[in-house]
Amino acid sequence: MATIAVPLGAQEQGQAAEAVQRPALSEYLRWSVDHKIIGVQYGVASFLFFLIGGAMAMGIRLELWTPDLDLMVSGAAYNSLFTFHGTIMIFLFIIPMWAAVGNFVVPLQLGAKDMAFPWLNAFAFWLIPPAAVVVLLGYFVSPAEAGWTSYPPLSTLFSGDGQTLWALGAHLLGISSIMGSINFIVTILNMRPPQMTLWRMPLLCWAVLATSIIAVMATPFLAGALTLLLLDRVAGTTFFDAAGGGDVLLWQNIFWFYSHPAVYIMVLPGMGVLSEVLSVHSRKPVFGYRMVGLSSMGIAFVGFTVWAHHMFTSLQPELRIPFMITTMIIAVPTGIKMFSWLGTIWGGKIHFTSAMLFGLGFMSMFVIGGITGVMLAALPFDIHVHDTYFVVSHFHFVLFGGSVFAIYAALYHWFPKVTGRMMNERLGRIHFAFTYFGFLFTFFPMHIVGMLGMPRRVAVYVPEFQPWNQLISFSAFVLGFSTFIVIYNVIKSYYHGPIAGANPWRALTLEWATTSPPPVTNFVDDPIPFEDPYGYGTEAAAAYVEAVEAAFSPGGSAARTER
Amino acid sequence: MTSYVERRVKPKLSLDRDAELRLKNNRLGMNIFQASWIMVFFAMIVVNWQLRYSYAQWPPAGVTPFDPLLPSIATLALLLSSVLVRRGRQSLQADEVSGFLACWRLAMALGVAFMAIIIYEFATVSQAALATQYGATMRLMTGFHFVHALAILAVMLWVYRAGLNDMRSGRPYNSWAVEGTAKLWYFVSFAWILFYLVLYWIR
Amino acid sequence: MDNSRSNIPSISPAAVVVTAVFLLVSIIGVNWFTTFVPLVLPPQASAESKSVDELFYILMIIGGVVFFLIQGMLLISVLFFRARDGDLGDGPTYHGNPLLEIVWTIIPALVIVFLAVVSYNIWTQNSEPKAAVNMIDGEETKIKVTGARYAWTHTYETNRLDADGDPIVINSGDKLHTYIGQNVDLELRTQDVIHSYWVPAMRVKQDLLPGNPDFGGRPTDIRFTPIRVEGAAYPAEYPIVCAELCGDGHGRMRGTVVVHEDESQFLAQFFEPAIYAILNPPADPVLRGEIVIQEYICNSCHTLDSLEWSSRTGPSLNGIAERAGERVAGQSAEEYIAISVWNAPAFVVPGYTEQMAVFGPDQTDANHMTAEELYSIVAFLCTQGEQSDCDLENLTEAIPQAIKTAFGLEVDISFGQDDAEASQPEAAADGSDESEADSESD
Ligand code: HEA
Ligand code: HEA
Ligand code: CUA
Ligand SMILES: [Cu+2]
Repeated sequence: MATIAVPLGAQEQGQAAEAVQRPALSEYLRWSVDHKIIGVQYGVASFLFFLIGGAMAMGIRLELWTPDLDLMVSGAAYNSLFTFHGTIMIFLFIIPMWAAVGNFVVPLQLGAKDMAFPWLNAFAFWLIPPAAVVVLLGYFVSPAEAGWTSYPPLSTLFSGDGQTLWALGAHLLGISSIMGSINFIVTILNMRPPQMTLWRMPLLCWAVLATSIIAVMATPFLAGALTLLLLDRVAGTTFFDAAGGGDVLLWQNIFWFYSHPAVYIMVLPGMGVLSEVLSVHSRKPVFGYRMVGLSSMGIAFVGFTVWAHHMFTSLQPELRIPFMITTMIIAVPTGIKMFSWLGTIWGGKIHFTSAMLFGLGFMSMFVIGGITGVMLAALPFDIHVHDTYFVVSHFHFVLFGGSVFAIYAALYHWFPKVTGRMMNERLGRIHFAFTYFGFLFTFFPMHIVGMLGMPRRVAVYVPEFQPWNQLISFSAFVLGFSTFIVIYNVIKSYYHGPIAGANPWRALTLEWATTSPPPVTNFVDDPIPFEDPYGYGTEAAAAYVEAVEAAFSPGGSAARTER
Repeated sequence: MTSYVERRVKPKLSLDRDAELRLKNNRLGMNIFQASWIMVFFAMIVVNWQLRYSYAQWPPAGVTPFDPLLPSIATLALLLSSVLVRRGRQSLQADEVSGFLACWRLAMALGVAFMAIIIYEFATVSQAALATQYGATMRLMTGFHFVHALAILAVMLWVYRAGLNDMRSGRPYNSWAVEGTAKLWYFVSFAWILFYLVLYWIR
Repeated sequence: MDNSRSNIPSISPAAVVVTAVFLLVSIIGVNWFTTFVPLVLPPQASAESKSVDELFYILMIIGGVVFFLIQGMLLISVLFFRARDGDLGDGPTYHGNPLLEIVWTIIPALVIVFLAVVSYNIWTQNSEPKAAVNMIDGEETKIKVTGARYAWTHTYETNRLDADGDPIVINSGDKLHTYIGQNVDLELRTQDVIHSYWVPAMRVKQDLLPGNPDFGGRPTDIRFTPIRVEGAAYPAEYPIVCAELCGDGHGRMRGTVVVHEDESQFLAQFFEPAIYAILNPPADPVLRGEIVIQEYICNSCHTLDSLEWSSRTGPSLNGIAERAGERVAGQSAEEYIAISVWNAPAFVVPGYTEQMAVFGPDQTDANHMTAEELYSIVAFLCTQGEQSDCDLENLTEAIPQAIKTAFGLEVDISFGQDDAEASQPEAAADGSDESEADSESD
């Protein structure tokens, strides 16, 4: 048999690992500097925000059931509803949720004991609850109602104090995001084991690295923009007030200089998750590993040059064309990823686990969002559909069909590592079916109403669109319902799921080469990564999996016992 | 199957290695933080530039340009202070705590002088300038920079006091605190030079 | 362990065949797809809409191919590459294929270049300035659009002159009248926040950006040329939609483009009658007020059943004359109404906030309204209610008196009438009104 690097720590020579106790639930409510605890804290907190944001989406869809204003007391109440829906989903759900996945998985994949700055890590998390309180308080005092993009002068001269709280909260969240990202970059660059070169690093780490680079370079612009907004609101400056020599496009430029890269902050980690999930569950190496890793960097880089595609109807006409071109270029590195993933599953032995289903669901839905993205980039067409439901559809396809599907894939994939128990696969499949079809029928018809003439951010619309909107709303309720299935599954599996063992998916990355859940220090001694994180199909890989099994799951892994 | 022990890279003394890693992490973290945070200053420069192009001329008609004399003196003071901070670090590396303290003291004094001039400039912007974005962006930028200078100066003071205590007690000095603070102070100087050029020289 | 599939050197021929089949299927599928294009777009009512729709058609084809390709490959993988039950083996150790990777980098890149070129051409073609715009009766005219929360106002600065030799300005409220073949070029200005002027049927959209009022704001413009739509009855109407969130009433901020069949119809159905009405306003201030009030954007916030207004941002005007007398002690109903229009912040009706746009006599006021117009509007509002608090018998004296008390301005109650000597047109050319206001105020 070939030589095999087996990552045994104190369990050298195959002693059985002791079962590690799960941390008591109360530990999650306290300050803790353990990245695994913090990861779960991030995850649970952002999922709660997802429920709040989702409940607001249900409110939006209920209001749009009829063409008139009937559920809401006024247009303003509706405006604050989607403002908070968008803000919560983006700043309090997706971005922190990726910090959850990154926090839990990245140090483990790197074989590190913890993040580079454990204290800073905890601090970044604990900024979120107060920030959330500030933002949500705004809902009760003349709420922000200028959309999540908060364009002045609507957000400066024409809004109440809730807008100030909104800006303060977003400021805190931005700072939290910067601190978290510095931590990720340092951890990834400095704390890999000596055998793990950058080119042997799992792709999730590549994606988190690219994401973090975007976050540290772009988020300061959000901080700048929010500072100006706050000054205009409370200190009497006129940076955005034309009457005082200010410029409303200033906000749009600075805001989108952050917020376009931010959309890749929201999807790149998901793409990293996908590379892991697709490879493991189809038992094949990632196709074109280097290009997949590099394309993350490519997307990050080009992502900085496209911001004004959100301003096609406000920017000076002669500046629009360059942004159209840069925007379209992003299709190339993203295409590399899509095709490489297809190459990964092609000819493999696909196991239709829930994680894999959501991974495949991501590919199938994200590509639609990507295609409509390129359509939006085509300037003359965007002029027609800008600020319509076509755009709403586009970004839900990439944000829900992309990011949220990837989050579910990550949940099903790493839940066993986090809790030591398997999720219920049957419920997982039901959840997938409801989510996939609920999602598709919610958001696909939005393209059509958008093109036909329904603008976004309206509570009243012309009656011709009612049948479409009823289809959308009905499907949205189905989609909302699907969330209860996964909540039930998580709770049930946490207590009653089958014991997972160290490596239920027989994966090769390091996070599986320790007990589930991992001990406080993750590994008892410095682990040695397998030579290729995706080297499936070789004898060495099989032997490695065998050895991990023997060392950490004496009782056999769930994968063995279930099938 | 080769044994794990044979194949593993012999770690150095784990305590040493942790300390080394921590320093390495701190340095990289500081660099990334600086690369990141300088973007806020860039954002403010973008603000200045975009607003200046919405005026026909800059400074706007009827506004007298700022006099660069005092700010230039302040800039010199800040630069000198950075040099002193650097010399202080070098003294510390040569184990001359008193030399470190002397340099650091002078650096802080220069920093205070810088800030005094900036406060003066901030407070005496003419009403005519303030009515336009010429004055408003100047206040934005100097004010924003000032907050940073103040915060870092406070950290310097804290490091200085710790240094005094350490000199008395003879405990080894925590060199990362000094290094980190010094780097932050360089950052303040660098950011200021950007602002200084944009505010007073680039017309 | 099943190792039979490992180390396959290159992509299998079967995969190539299947891919080819899928390309074929997708081309057929895309063709079928694109037959739906006209169903999901509004009518093509402008020259621009033709080329934009062409672009959309191309985008549908490219998008369709990518869509079918990806979904197809996924479907094949799902169907053919499932692990058999109990098979714990691995797939082939296949790390990649540089040639393939180059191919799938280059092809999308080429597609992008193609798309960029096509879009660029269509864009330049559509945004190219036209030689003659807004031609009315053989002459170029200026058409301006003002957006204010939450209504559109269109004004035509015509080349016709009134009795005093000043150009006549037609205000057509939220309707834009145009005709087939007219090169429309609208100058857009906002009074408050950003709005976005969108005519779905024309495929045009442009934001209205606030700019410094001292320098005349920050005008943007929008161009299109209406064309004939098969089977439409003329004059045809197409909605104008506000596409940028502007607050409470954003969803209600709509208007209509009225496309007349040709220029003569346009003149006969809209232009000439409008000019006639301006030159011959009704002598009765109440009737005149009914016309004037509809030229302003009051309908965007208020409810008034007699004019079919139904917005709820501001207080209802139904029965206003019954209440106006009792609102402020010592103030006549006429005075209360006049002040509420010109100096809205003076009283805020309980339950509402101070949001009303500025209407006033100065040229710089966002909504310039002369004292004479105010007079007729007050006269009209005085009739809104069962038992009016106003001195209905004596409006022609009571209202000018009220305006004089409140603002110190004299009102020329015969304005617009041919026989009146010192008459001013209701919206005169720049400057002259200001001097009028100045000289008349004391
Ligand atoms: C996760 C978030 C996310 C992601 C990944 C993207 C990805 C993309 N987005 Fe999207 N976008 C948003 C979130 C996101 N977007 C949000 C939130 C908004 C609205 C904000 C607001 O106004 O509130 C928005 C709005 C938005 C606009 C402005 C619309 C408007 O307001 O008028 C535009 C315009 O260019 C755009 C373009 C794109 C493009 C070109 C991509 C590309 O990255 C997509 C690339 C992917 C593919 C193309 C698919 C895979 C590629 C292949 C299979 C290769 C072959 C393909 C071709 C040759 C076409 N987006
Ligand atoms: C990650 C981001 C994200 C996600 C996941 C979603 C999810 C959803 N979104 Fe949202 N959306 C945005 C980001 C997101 N959205 C943004 C950025 C905007 C723009 C805002 C703006 O214009 O400023 C927007 C705007 C937006 C609009 C447009 C509003 C308008 O312009 O007028 C609509 C309309 O249908 C909508 C619908 C939905 C629906 C039906 C879901 C569904 O997927 C949600 C499904 C629901 C759940 C999964 C939750 C289920 C929970 C319950 C049923 C209640 C249980 C409650 C408790 C236990 C307390 N969204
Ligand atoms: Cu005006 Cu929306
Ligand atoms: Cu974008």
